[in-house]
Amino acid sequence: MFQIYLPIAEVSVNLLVMLGLGAAVGFLSGMFGVGGGFLLTPLLMFSGIAAPIAVATGANQVVATSVGGALAQWRRGNIDFHMGAILIAGGVVGALAGVLLLKLLREVGQAGLIVSLTYVVLLGVVGALMLSESLRALERTRGGKPSPARRSGQHNWIHRLPLKLRFPRSRLYISAIPALVIGAVVGLLTAFLGVSGGFVMVPAMIYLLRMPTNIVIGTSLFQIIFITALVSVLHAGLSQTLDVVLALILAAGGVIGGQFGVRAGQKLRAEQLRALLAVIVLAVAIRLLFDLVLTPSELYSIVPTRGA
Amino acid sequence: MRHALAIALLLLTLAGAETKAVEKTPPRAGEELQSDLSTREISIKANFTGIEILLYGSIDFSQTAVPETGAYDVIMVVRSPAEPLVARRKQRVAGIWINGPGKVFPSVPGFYAALSTRPLRAITSDKTLKLFGIGVGNLDFGRPTEGDPNEQTFRSAVIRLKEKQRLFQELDDGVDFVGRSLFRGTVALPVNVSTGRYTADIYLFRDGEVISRDHSTLEVTKAGFEGLVHKLAFTRPFLYGLLAVVLAMLAGLAGWYAFRRE
Repeated sequence: MFQIYLPIAEVSVNLLVMLGLGAAVGFLSGMFGVGGGFLLTPLLMFSGIAAPIAVATGANQVVATSVGGALAQWRRGNIDFHMGAILIAGGVVGALAGVLLLKLLREVGQAGLIVSLTYVVLLGVVGALMLSESLRALERTRGGKPSPARRSGQHNWIHRLPLKLRFPRSRLYISAIPALVIGAVVGLLTAFLGVSGGFVMVPAMIYLLRMPTNIVIGTSLFQIIFITALVSVLHAGLSQTLDVVLALILAAGGVIGGQFGVRAGQKLRAEQLRALLAVIVLAVAIRLLFDLVLTPSELYSIVPTRGA
Repeated sequence: MRHALAIALLLLTLAGAETKAVEKTPPRAGEELQSDLSTREISIKANFTGIEILLYGSIDFSQTAVPETGAYDVIMVVRSPAEPLVARRKQRVAGIWINGPGKVFPSVPGFYAALSTRPLRAITSDKTLKLFGIGVGNLDFGRPTEGDPNEQTFRSAVIRLKEKQRLFQELDDGVDFVGRSLFRGTVALPVNVSTGRYTADIYLFRDGEVISRDHSTLEVTKAGFEGLVHKLAFTRPFLYGLLAVVLAMLAGLAGWYAFRRE
């Protein structure tokens, strides 16, 4: 019943389960205002989709969940196109490197392992940081003290770098090098893990580049749309790992789930949301780690190698 | 190279089929075998969940002076084209299970089923089974890439995993006689079968010797939307990627538009 055969992943999945998976991830990403790729890709891997296909399809899914937000930010004039262009320039290099790296690992049969390991480290670190930060914030608000405001406008080492450019929308005059590096790292993460990379890019833009927060959200969404679209095309074109049927099912669930998530998110406080997200992130990391450490019931695996 | 080998093997199989058709039956006995399949073409569409095929046939005794009763055995072998396959064994490194070096077997049938009236060993000798490639243990996977002493364990792992996925089947009582000359057997193709031209070989045995055989083919293709998607993804991969992105954007925009009022 409702079984559907995925033409590229070459597995049969339950349509309702996949719709539900898309909706659940969409709900969470709408609730927390994140891309959701870092949850979707591991969940697809848990459901028996090969890692390279989960990554490519996850990246394609982020396109669907981010396009509406990017459009809304653009209408509000919250996109710094100069900064966006620099981020994308770095992103293209990172994306190409990530796609080729994953293709190479897939050919030697290590893609699943390295993708899982990277996820464990990244989700573990990000989850732990978020959890401790939000717990401290919750503690403070319970104590009645307002959270200390971050001092801004101070000059740091970033301002001593060469290749300075003017970014009128962000009211910044800084070097293009940090933005290029941030773009490249995010591009690599998108291509290698199927995530939007927003959880790296947003803090980096706020704390390193000192961009205004409203511009950060719009500009990062702008970059995400370009890079996830590019990564989807590159994975499909170079490795044939993008399953469009799976992507469409997930997108249908995700778009609907996302809308309910946004509403649910408005009912919770920011610190509570961050603590909840941190717990989910850590749970995914632990599950991935378990799969790597526990003795598998079957040590052997077979893969057809179609005329390479 | 591997590709060329596969093609050569395929040509050899086809050539074998051709010559067999000319020779037809060995002249030793008068019994002749005729057989067919319930379907000649299978299209894998989105709703494909596997399919059962009926193989049937009869023994023609008209050329036989004294038909012996109860002395006949039938073996049916259904197989898909062979393809190269890599098998890997996980090993523990620093507490983590990782894939060790792989072993490539150049020609492993994507699907293989052997159905028989009795256990294979009871019907004929190992030598004969090996000669005709009957039984999962008697398949020729080609020479693996490296000469590893563990070849046998890798080989049995391939068979075990294929059997688990129902891609290798051995059914000792899969063929039933209906009366004296009519026989039938059903084979279930699972959802993950490979595509291509399948062959069905039916062997008639008496006293451990093949006295007649017949051969049919079965075309398994990906069809409909699924087939189109698969074809596009592998023949025009960049166009396919662009289409996927456009579809994702449209889905996102549709959702954004539908839920906009706030």
